[in-house]
Amino acid sequence: MKITRQEFLIRARLDGDTLEAWIAEEWIVPTGADPEVSFTDADVARAELIRDLRGDLDVNDAGVGVILDLVDQMHGLRKMLGDLLQSMHRPEGGTRR
Amino acid sequence: MTDPYEALGVDRSASLEDIRKAYRRLAKKLHPDLNPGNKEAEAQFKEVAGAYDILSDKDKRQRFDNGEIDASGAERPRQRFYRDFAPESEGPYTSSSGFADFAESDDILSEFIRQQAHARANARGPDISYRLPVDFLDAVNGGTMRLDLPQGGTLDVKIPPGIVEGQVLRLRGKGAPGRGSGGAGDALVEVSIRPHRFFTREGNDIHLELPVSLAEAVAGGKVNVPTPSGTVAMTVPKHANTGTVLRLRGKGVAKPGGGAGDELVKLKVMLPDPPDPALDAFVSAWETGKTYDPRRDMLP
Repeated sequence: MKITRQEFLIRARLDGDTLEAWIAEEWIVPTGADPEVSFTDADVARAELIRDLRGDLDVNDAGVGVILDLVDQMHGLRKMLGDLLQSMHRPEGGTRR
Repeated sequence: MTDPYEALGVDRSASLEDIRKAYRRLAKKLHPDLNPGNKEAEAQFKEVAGAYDILSDKDKRQRFDNGEIDASGAERPRQRFYRDFAPESEGPYTSSSGFADFAESDDILSEFIRQQAHARANARGPDISYRLPVDFLDAVNGGTMRLDLPQGGTLDVKIPPGIVEGQVLRLRGKGAPGRGSGGAGDALVEVSIRPHRFFTREGNDIHLELPVSLAEAVAGGKVNVPTPSGTVAMTVPKHANTGTVLRLRGKGVAKPGGGAGDELVKLKVMLPDPPDPALDAFVSAWETGKTYDPRRDMLP
């Protein structure tokens, strides 16, 4: 589902400048180009994560970048591992147990 | 609803700094986005976050201590966590840089990993399959073939000697380009071998039917025989016949481990064309020619 910039700011409880800064850091990557940008539910949840990190968890901006990068890598690994396990359970799969 | 002091594991006199420390220690272990594989973490984290919400706010903590609000009063409405979206979002975030190196080796698991990486950002490009017709002699001797690509351009494909029908050559990095820092995929070239005018191939051996004249068959002699590597002289023994098979050692297809197969030459006796009256006269006067029956084994 597409979310407009205005709706995104409300749902993520962000101001426009902060969002621009996060986009510049590539912490949030909206879909499409100005002025037609849109966001997803995943972007909202990601913004919540960034708020948690910077707020209650007191992580500084450099740390947020590192953590997000590692989180993205971890999800890449989780996806790959999930697909791999699935293909191993398929009897006709190329990889055999 | 758990008592917020208990949820954070601090006592009632704890300072704000102690509460913060306790919360951070727990959040690190329980934040669902930092522990995407821990299913129980979410409920526990919500409890801890709710407790911290009350105890980190001087006013709310006071009201809770006075019994004015209960522990549930602080629960923050939380939308879904990022981890709930990450698996389904093939979007811009999920990264393969945590495992891309596994895809570099040649085993079957790496192939799988390479396939998985396609949809990702910075993904390696997909493999592209081609079919390449190869002349019979190029397949036997090896060579370089130029493949015209459908999207324009050409690709030089090195054919190893002795390649067989249906064999697939993998040209690393010659497939579709990758995204971002991901390298190109591979070109997979499947070879189909065009038939030859007079050679056929069985395994590493070359078969050839060689016409010989009646005189060569009866009297024997040297004849020139084509082989895939050039013409060689071969001795036809005296009294050779149609169907006699002569073996030219090592004139077949090179084997991968060294050595080569043979060329098997099957003789075929040809009468002169146009017919020769002298031969006609000889045959009509020739006694044995009338009594010899080559079909005697076929009759009941």
